[in-house]
Amino acid sequence: MSFISASGVKYSYDENGSDVLKGITLKVNKGEFIALLGHNGCGKSTMAKTFNALITPREGVIYVDGMDTSDDEVTYEIRRNVGLVLQNPDNQLVASVIEEDVAFGPENLGIAPDEIRERVDKALKTVGMYEYRTHAPHKLSGGQKQRVAIAGILAMKPSCIVFDEPTAMLDPNGREEVMRTIKLLKEKGITIVLITHFMEEAVLADRVIVMEEGEILIQGKPGDVFSEVNLLKKHSLDVPQATELAYKLIGAGLRFSKMPLTTDDCITFLKGVLS
Amino acid sequence: MTRDIALGQFVPGKGIVHRTDPRVKILLLIAYITLIFCSFNFVSLGIITAAVVTVIALSGVSFKLYFKSLKVIIFIVIITSLLNMFYGTGEPIWQLGFLKLTMSGIYRAIFVTVRIILLILISSCLTFTTSPTDLTDAIERLMSPLKVFRVKVHEIAMMMTIALRFVPTLLEETDKIMAAQKARGADMESGGLIKKVKAMTPILIPLFVSAFRRAYDLATAMECRCYKGGEGRTRMKSLHIGKTDIIGIVFSALVLTGVVLCDVFILPII
Repeated sequence: MSFISASGVKYSYDENGSDVLKGITLKVNKGEFIALLGHNGCGKSTMAKTFNALITPREGVIYVDGMDTSDDEVTYEIRRNVGLVLQNPDNQLVASVIEEDVAFGPENLGIAPDEIRERVDKALKTVGMYEYRTHAPHKLSGGQKQRVAIAGILAMKPSCIVFDEPTAMLDPNGREEVMRTIKLLKEKGITIVLITHFMEEAVLADRVIVMEEGEILIQGKPGDVFSEVNLLKKHSLDVPQATELAYKLIGAGLRFSKMPLTTDDCITFLKGVLS
Repeated sequence: MTRDIALGQFVPGKGIVHRTDPRVKILLLIAYITLIFCSFNFVSLGIITAAVVTVIALSGVSFKLYFKSLKVIIFIVIITSLLNMFYGTGEPIWQLGFLKLTMSGIYRAIFVTVRIILLILISSCLTFTTSPTDLTDAIERLMSPLKVFRVKVHEIAMMMTIALRFVPTLLEETDKIMAAQKARGADMESGGLIKKVKAMTPILIPLFVSAFRRAYDLATAMECRCYKGGEGRTRMKSLHIGKTDIIGIVFSALVLTGVVLCDVFILPII
């Protein structure tokens, strides 16, 4: 059974305004890594907020692990189960000491002090920030802060984490750190939904969903989605740089058996062509 | 420039004062402040001075920092002691026009000076040895009986925690906005007071806008982490009274008895 299943989800921010989500139907399987792409304002962040009951659809239903998100009784169980990491790491940290910030989630859940301690240490070790546990957040780099934010979610032991452009405000090093952490979590069996503008991050996913104007434009394996270069270009969406290069080379008469997604893929292909 | 503002400067350490329960420290601070203002003769003033000096020596924080905190109030000390010197009653020992220097005035000045200095020293000692989170935590717990009167104790403590958390973030942001406005040709140094205050507008407006945006984000993040108020919340760190706290309490009780006894049996000087 799928972990998150949305069917016909419609949502608008104000009563008479146009819908931001125009009847979205999608499924996220347990342990899957999904990348959600699209322009600013295409509704992907709104979609993310429906996954943990921050907003409930105007029409349609969303089930998370069999629980209806519009059921008030299970709101906090859903929020514990589906964590959300936001874009700006600064605005997500509550306390002035790292370990106390990570403890914030479990404290809200009313967990016993000893177990909170255990969870906090484990979460900080997972994201590699254990040595910084007594530091103040403002002395850390962006990537480190974002990893602390992830630890704060991890300490609630969720089965799914939704990342809303977690690397948008980070430098390349920070982005690398955060992506490594996300990959690690995926290996640990946590379901990942990654909203991003970076195609290089999207190719790591099991499945890519592209949204446009509140609807799903195309979805499938990264290789399949990014092969539709024409469709994506028409909606002025990016493809990974390697794919872009291959696409242009095809235009120049070169033949590729399969669209390359990463730089390494591309290098292998070009080597084959050149030799 | 804004980085120089030291708010609730905390100096990490492992000394006996650091290890004392923050609740005990707050209550003892209140007791000491009361004692400082209830010592009416040199003996009791001496006792309380000795006690304060002992505490700050035990705190393990360098005396330099204490001097730094005293530097801020040096003018207040000088002015109040000068005023007090000439406001005494009784036989003048020196007179210049309407200025009358009396023995009681001199005593008064000494008392005021010592009191203010002690007050600053002992309160600095609390902020130097207690982390801001511990402080808000202690305040929340000390105030919890007020819940009976429907005081939103948890909410107040949460606001203090968040405010302390965002002080450095907003300071950093102020620096950035100032730099950005200067780069656009904003003049912030020249002109009189009114002009300078007016020059703050282009800094304050973006700062407020961004603060609201941050607040919105933070609220979302807190909801994502299942925050639903103080109800049913547990804490990772539980405070409990230990040996160090007992030592502190006993020490302070001795000081208290000493000061009270001296006040009762020795004639007050002021």
